[in-house]
Amino acid sequence: MHAVRALCLSLLLCASCSRTGREAAPPGAVPLLLKHQPLWGDPGPFHAFLDRFRRENPDVLLRTETLPNASDVAREMFVTALEGGADDFDVFAIDVVWAPEFARAGWLADLSEAFPPARLRQEFLPGPVEAVTLEGRVYAVPWFLDVGLLYYRTDLVPRAPRTYAELSDLAREAMARDPRLAGFLWQGRQYEGLNCNVFEAVWGHGGEVLREGRIAVDTAEAREALHWLRDAISSGLSPRSVISSAEEETRRAFQDGRAVFLRNWPYVWAEVQAPGSPVRGKVGFAPLPSLTGQPGPGALGGWQLAVGARLPPARRRAAERLVAFLTSHEAAVELALRYSRIPARRAVYQDARVRDGAPFISALLPVAVAARPRPVSPYYALASDAIQGELSAAVVGLRAPEEALARAQRIVTHLEER
Amino acid sequence: MNARRQAAALAAPAVAVLGGVAVAPVLAAVWLSLHRSILIFHEQRWVGLANFRFLLGDARFGSAVSTSAYFTAVAVSAELALGLLVAVLLQRGGGLFRAAVLLPWAVPTAVSARMWAWLFNPDYGLLHRIAPGIDWLGSPRTALHAAILVDVWKTTPFVALLLLAGLQAIPEEVLKAARVDGARPARVFFSVTLPLLRPAILLALLFRSLDAFRVFDAIYVLTEGGPANATETLSIYAYKTLMRSGDFGYGSTLSVATFACVLALGLVWLRVLGRRR
Repeated sequence: MHAVRALCLSLLLCASCSRTGREAAPPGAVPLLLKHQPLWGDPGPFHAFLDRFRRENPDVLLRTETLPNASDVAREMFVTALEGGADDFDVFAIDVVWAPEFARAGWLADLSEAFPPARLRQEFLPGPVEAVTLEGRVYAVPWFLDVGLLYYRTDLVPRAPRTYAELSDLAREAMARDPRLAGFLWQGRQYEGLNCNVFEAVWGHGGEVLREGRIAVDTAEAREALHWLRDAISSGLSPRSVISSAEEETRRAFQDGRAVFLRNWPYVWAEVQAPGSPVRGKVGFAPLPSLTGQPGPGALGGWQLAVGARLPPARRRAAERLVAFLTSHEAAVELALRYSRIPARRAVYQDARVRDGAPFISALLPVAVAARPRPVSPYYALASDAIQGELSAAVVGLRAPEEALARAQRIVTHLEER
Repeated sequence: MNARRQAAALAAPAVAVLGGVAVAPVLAAVWLSLHRSILIFHEQRWVGLANFRFLLGDARFGSAVSTSAYFTAVAVSAELALGLLVAVLLQRGGGLFRAAVLLPWAVPTAVSARMWAWLFNPDYGLLHRIAPGIDWLGSPRTALHAAILVDVWKTTPFVALLLLAGLQAIPEEVLKAARVDGARPARVFFSVTLPLLRPAILLALLFRSLDAFRVFDAIYVLTEGGPANATETLSIYAYKTLMRSGDFGYGSTLSVATFACVLALGLVWLRVLGRRR
C-alpha cells in the first residue's frame, strides 16, 4: 500500500515538475536533460534541490529522467543509445567503472577546462578522481561513492581485526562459543561484486590490478588472495553459501545475527541499526583487514556525472553548470543527509551538519580515502564478465586459482591487445 | 527451355529470401570472425585466422562445447524416452488431455524459465521445501541438471506430439496381424511399433538435438551461464563475448564455431535419416 502510494506520488511529482518546467520556460531557454538512477526513498528533497538550480538558472529548461536501477541494465542502455548516436544525453550519471570505457568510445565531453584535474585532486578523494581521469584528462565529476568495508559484531569480538590471521582467529573463537555462527560473510556469486571482493583481497595482499595501463589479473598476489578466499570456504571460516551470495543474502544473514564478520557496502549500516534489527547497537565497522595490518583498501563504487560529447556550445555550458551544481559541497551535504550518500568531496566529512546529522558518514572518511577503483582501463568493463567467470570457478573450487587466473588473463590480454 | 526459365523465375524469390536471411548473415559472421573488431572503440582490422588460432587454445570454449554436448545428450535422451511414453498414453487420451499435455510447450521459454527459477529459489522455492539443502542454481554441480530438467519439462510435449503423429501413421492392420500371430503386447511394441516409428523418432532427434545444442534462453534466464560458468553453453559464450565484452570479432568466431558444430550434427542426422529402409 505504501509502495503504491509512493509510486503515485512520485509519478505525480514527476508529471508536475516537467509540466511546470515547460510552462515556465522563457522563450529561447536552453533545454537540458539529466539522466540519473533513482536515489531511493522520497524523490521530493532531490527535486526540491533541483528547483534551486532552476531558480538560479532561469535560462535553462531542466528536465530529469530516471535510469534503470540495475547497473548492467543501465550500461547496456547507455551503450546501445550512445553508440546509436542518441542526442538526448546531456548530463548523465555513470558507474565508476564506465568512465574510461565511455571516454575512449568518444561519448563523454572532456571536462578538464571546467574541472581542472589539479583542483579535482585537491577537493575530492583520490579514488574517485583516479576513476574519472584517463591519460590526464577529466571525463566526469565524482557525485557520490560507495566503498567496501568490514562490519563486525561488537558483542562477539573485542575489536575489529587488522590482519587476515586476526580475522580468522577472532571468528573462530566466537564460533567455538556458538557453533551456529558463520565466521566471515562476503559476496562470492558470479557477478561484479565478486570482482570487488577479490580485488580487495588482492590489494590486501599488497598487489595491484592494473600494471602500466593494462589489467593485471594473473599476479602472485592475486593467486595468494584467491587461495585465501578459497581456503576461507574450505576451512569453514566462511559458509559454503557465500559462493551463491550477493550483497543482500549476506546482509540478511548478518542482520539476523548469524555471522561475526561481514564485508559489504555502507548501505548496510542503516539496515542493521534500524529499529527492530536483531543486531541493533551490536555492530561496528572498520576498514578491511590486510596481510600486514595496514588498513586494506575497499573497492570503490558509486556514480559520476558526465556530459555528452556532442552538445552545442550553449547546452554544453548549461550542462557544466548543472554538473558543478550537483557536485558542489552543498549538494553533497544534501545527499548525505537526505539519502545517506557517501560524499566524494573531502570537506563534506568535516561539515558540522554531516557530523551531527549523519555521524556514520563522517566516520567513514578513513575508509573512503583508502578506497581504490577497479582497473581504470577502457577495457575493464568489457573484460569484467570474463574475469567474473574464472574467479567464480576458483572460489567454488572447480579450478585451482593458478589455472583460473591464467585463463582469465588470457582472455583479458586478447581483448586488450591493440 | 522456356519451362526451365519459368521454373527459375518462380524459384528466384525463394532463393533470394533464403540467400538474404540465411546465407548472407552467415557469410557476414565469417567475414567478421577474420577481424579484430571492438565496435564501441571503432577498432576494426583484419587479423586473418588469429581468432581461430585463439579459439583452439581457449579453455573456456572447450568447456562450453562439452557443456552444450552434455546438455544435448542428456536432455534429448530424456525427452525422447518420456515423449515416447507420453505419446503412447496420448493415443488413448481425448482431445482435452492432449491439449493439457501441450501446455508447457505453449508457454514462452523465458516465462517458464523464470517460473522455474522461482521454484529453484534457495530461500522461498517450492523445490527447496520438498528437498531442502540443495541450492539447485547456486551450485555448479546441480545447476546444469536443473537447466536440463527445465528443458525436458518444456520440450517433452513437442517430442510426444511428433511421435504421436508417427504412431497414428502406423496401419492398424499390421498391429492386428502381429496380434493374430500370437505376439504379446511388449513384443508387438518392440518388434512392430518401434521399427515403424523410426522415421518419426529420427525426425524428433534431428529437431531436438539441433535446438538443444544451441540452447540459450532457458539457461540464460535461469543462471546466465553461472555459477562458475558451469552452465555456459556455446550460444551463451558467444552472446557474452559479443554483447558484454563488445568483442565482435572473436564473438563472431564463436558464432561461426557454433554454426559449424550444429551443421555437422545436422548432416550426421540427415545421413542417418536418409539411410532408412
